[in-house]
Amino acid sequence: MVKRKLAALEKVEADLTNLQHKIRRDPPSYQIEFGNQYHQYEVYRDILLEAPSTTEESRVISLHDLIGFVSHVADCYRAITKNFAQDLIGLLSAHHAVLEYELRDKIVGSLVLLRKKGIIDSSTLLNTFFSIRASTPSKSLRALLFQRILSELRNSNSKTINHRLNRTTQNALFELVTSDRTTPKTLWAVKLTRELWKRQIWTDPKSVEIMKEAALAENKKVIIAGVRFFLGGDKEREEAAEEESDEEDGIDMAQLRHQAGINKKTNKKEKELKKAAATVRKRERKKNQPHPLNFSAFHLLHDPQGFAEVLFAKHLQAAETKLNLEQKLLILQLVSRLVGLHKLALDTLYSYFLKYLSPRQPSVTSFLASLAQATHNLVPPDMLEPLIQKIVNEFVSEAAASEVASAGLNAIREICARQPLAMNETLLQDLVMYRKSKDKGVMMAAKGLLSLYREVEPEMLHKRDRGRDAALSLRAGDKKRARFGEEKAGEIEGLELLEKWKEDERKKRREEKGLPLDNLSDEEADQDAEDEAGWANWDAEEDGSDDSGGWIGVHSGGSEIDISDDEDSPGPSKRVKIEKDTTAEKEPIVANEDVTNIPKLSKLATTRILTPVDLAKLQELRAQAEVSKLMPNKKRQKQLEDRHADDPFTAEQIEGLATLSAKRTKEEKIAMARADREERHQSTTAKRKEKKEAEGKSTTNKEKARKKNFMMTLGKAKAKSKRSLIEHRKILKAHSERKKRGGRRSNR
Amino acid sequence: MAASARKKKEKKKDFQKAKLKVGKTKARPDSFTSTSFKAKSIVLNPQSLATSAPSPTLQFNHHLSLLTSKSENQRRDSLAYLTTAVASGPLPQPLAVILEKIRPLLLDSSHAVRQQLNKLLRALPAEEITSNAGSLILLTRAGMTHLSNDVRLTALDAFEWLLETAGKEVVGIAGVWVKTLKCFLGLLGWQKNQDDNAENSKWSIIKQARARLAGADKIFVKQLLALTLFLDAGIGQQEQELSKLQPSTFPLWHTQFHMLPHRPNPYGYLNLAGAARDEESEAYEDRLDRQRVFKKLALAQVEDGLEQARKEGGEVGRAAAALRRAVNLGMMGFVE
Repeated sequence: MVKRKLAALEKVEADLTNLQHKIRRDPPSYQIEFGNQYHQYEVYRDILLEAPSTTEESRVISLHDLIGFVSHVADCYRAITKNFAQDLIGLLSAHHAVLEYELRDKIVGSLVLLRKKGIIDSSTLLNTFFSIRASTPSKSLRALLFQRILSELRNSNSKTINHRLNRTTQNALFELVTSDRTTPKTLWAVKLTRELWKRQIWTDPKSVEIMKEAALAENKKVIIAGVRFFLGGDKEREEAAEEESDEEDGIDMAQLRHQAGINKKTNKKEKELKKAAATVRKRERKKNQPHPLNFSAFHLLHDPQGFAEVLFAKHLQAAETKLNLEQKLLILQLVSRLVGLHKLALDTLYSYFLKYLSPRQPSVTSFLASLAQATHNLVPPDMLEPLIQKIVNEFVSEAAASEVASAGLNAIREICARQPLAMNETLLQDLVMYRKSKDKGVMMAAKGLLSLYREVEPEMLHKRDRGRDAALSLRAGDKKRARFGEEKAGEIEGLELLEKWKEDERKKRREEKGLPLDNLSDEEADQDAEDEAGWANWDAEEDGSDDSGGWIGVHSGGSEIDISDDEDSPGPSKRVKIEKDTTAEKEPIVANEDVTNIPKLSKLATTRILTPVDLAKLQELRAQAEVSKLMPNKKRQKQLEDRHADDPFTAEQIEGLATLSAKRTKEEKIAMARADREERHQSTTAKRKEKKEAEGKSTTNKEKARKKNFMMTLGKAKAKSKRSLIEHRKILKAHSERKKRGGRRSNR
Repeated sequence: MAASARKKKEKKKDFQKAKLKVGKTKARPDSFTSTSFKAKSIVLNPQSLATSAPSPTLQFNHHLSLLTSKSENQRRDSLAYLTTAVASGPLPQPLAVILEKIRPLLLDSSHAVRQQLNKLLRALPAEEITSNAGSLILLTRAGMTHLSNDVRLTALDAFEWLLETAGKEVVGIAGVWVKTLKCFLGLLGWQKNQDDNAENSKWSIIKQARARLAGADKIFVKQLLALTLFLDAGIGQQEQELSKLQPSTFPLWHTQFHMLPHRPNPYGYLNLAGAARDEESEAYEDRLDRQRVFKKLALAQVEDGLEQARKEGGEVGRAAAALRRAVNLGMMGFVE
């Protein structure tokens, strides 16, 4: 009998990858082979279970390979491998502490693979990982599991938000954080939440609740992690989102299409092109979508008052806190931001500050910033007065250093900007005198205080300090002293412009029709018709809005939210009878007011629903008005307005003016002047040359000749002068000849 | 935009070439290590200068440790040494230790090593094997299902040897009876089809699987014979057991139950320490149990398979006939 020739692959011993490949192509016909391998896996597992801590190479490696193999093809033989996932979970949870580390990591990876293939569900996987993560002593395993948990959560939320999974996970984390407040082991729960918050996977109150509990823990690390989340988590999230959109800019469709025309056409290239086109399309669609509403963590807090109180009492007021100054400052920042943002009443906080307000206190500017941040218009002035007095006594005196004085004045200014009633007349007049100081920082700080009070309470200043505008408005009597607790009525920005515009339009139309200007019932009908028209074509308006060039200058997109504010308005066509009467009465009044130029709150938004057309017009009018704001004297005001209420007030802002006091060197001044410029100017040639040099490319002959060492040229020059006439003629002839030919290589 | 420009610049930096200049020495790479140092002296590890040869026990241990060597010749030679050492006198190490070391070689990639291992196994004292069989059976089974045909053959050899020396003990160990039966069913392609869609194509699958293996018929026969042996050991007639039960001395009844047990782990069936067992990993200590389980799990499939194998005729047919005889004998007295 002739010996049968073996195929190349058959010679290979124990080639699991080969078998895996074959199984992928045709699962039913390799069932027996798979059964054998699965049996082998079971044997190896049993052997391992005899001594789980073994590191014996042959056992561990074969089991490692077999686990990988089985988990890769497990979806083809669900009946045979029905216990496989449970086996792995059992193995890992029972022996994770002693297993050889590569094998352990392989099991983790295989479980994730099984999850991807849909053999186990994510809650099983996460439950397993959570329990192991909590109990394992190995740092590397913890890191691995953390990463896997994170990616699992990301994946299961990638297509649609998996609310159920999120809820169970959040509940588990919440339990973890609240069950034992003293261990640092819960830190990873905080990390996980923060990471998911950053990636905008979790944006709900429950995750904020987890962080709140973390901030109220007993353990230092956990507390600080929680506090840092509140102070920096939202900024981090914004930056991550920005970076993501930055990265996406990379695809240049035109270039890709051009390349596809030139390069060899392969299936792969075609696929790549299609994929790129799809991403570009997707991004375009995304751009047109409205921005998803993202509330900051502060706004998602339940019961900020309770949180601030407990935080303050537990970590700052209590006698036996183990926190150091830096950590205390972080917590103080958080408390003061909560107080400032939500206008909480936390009376003990202000007396707490009293003991820290002295120039010798380390990082006192942070304390000052926190104090300013914690101030709002509902804080009783008599609570703030002693604090201001203390700042004045400690910081602002002739004897104090200029930095100290400017910091103090600046802090007082910031406090008074938030609660003007905290200042009394004599003190203010004293402080304003510092604007005559020789030091620039102190002078600027005092001027800041002065200009603040010119705006809010000119009466408290000396007559000569009030300035022209303030004095005029005082004489006119339209500046009234603000009372404690008084709130300005809210209004929609630019609404009076819209009203005026509407009135004009209506008048125009009536004139065209030849109707009298003040027929009320007609006017009513007129208005309704107008409204109907506004609603009728609002879809068209929306679609067209991208193409029409008129509204490009639109400033901010807040109008949709504004209408849903506390002004409640009845429907336009089905209005109640009473409402009808009130509007009818008030319309002419509004017109009258327009004439007399007395600004009063517009009733437009309270009496009717603004149609989309109205809103668009409002935006336009606002944009027009915006132009006037860019005039130089209004610039600073706008800057102040732009500072968002959510933004923190920091120590740097308090110290800012102190930098003016220090004398700068010339270099510093030059550097400062140059800081905002892009780069120094360069000609295109110079830029190209620089680029070429940086890439390590060669230079031209001309350049080489120009850069040649002078000493090397001397010899030739000498020889040139000593040439005989004959030689010279020869050279000249050769030159002319060469020119005719077109160069040495005659490249014509 | 500024950030991405910066990133682009950073990326570019990695690919910039250092400029080479004529007449200048080449810049050193980042990974350059200076080797210009000089050593004052070179120290050699102390080497043994003993004049007498190491004792046989030491040598034995040394060779045991060499079994994990990378070189297959080394492994084979060490096994050969151990074979002669074992054959020549009493064991220098307890058998359990030796088995622990040599057991992984059942799956060794070299044919010569496995051959030598089989020789070593046969040289081991048979009476001690009975109490250590449990540690061998697992890896033997792993060998029988190995991807490589060659490994399967030698593993079957080892399996046969194991049954010959300690057949009765092996089948009574926890988990062995059911798992080995299932293993055989899988190997022979006789197991129940778990994916019902492939019911009709089962025959062709088995044929395919066997066609893919080189020398498939030979191994098939060998597997059949091994299964015959296994069934013989498990459910074959065992006369001496009956004779043992006869009360021999009149005033004492059931003496053997009151004597010291002569096998390891006599109360293993109670499973006091281990994890809870399911049907698969249960220990089936007497013949009746095994018969019951065999009937429940395998009998029908074995008979189906035998029918097929008998039709093939030749060597396979003969082996199948032997197996049928063993099955018939084993199930003869069985009533539920």
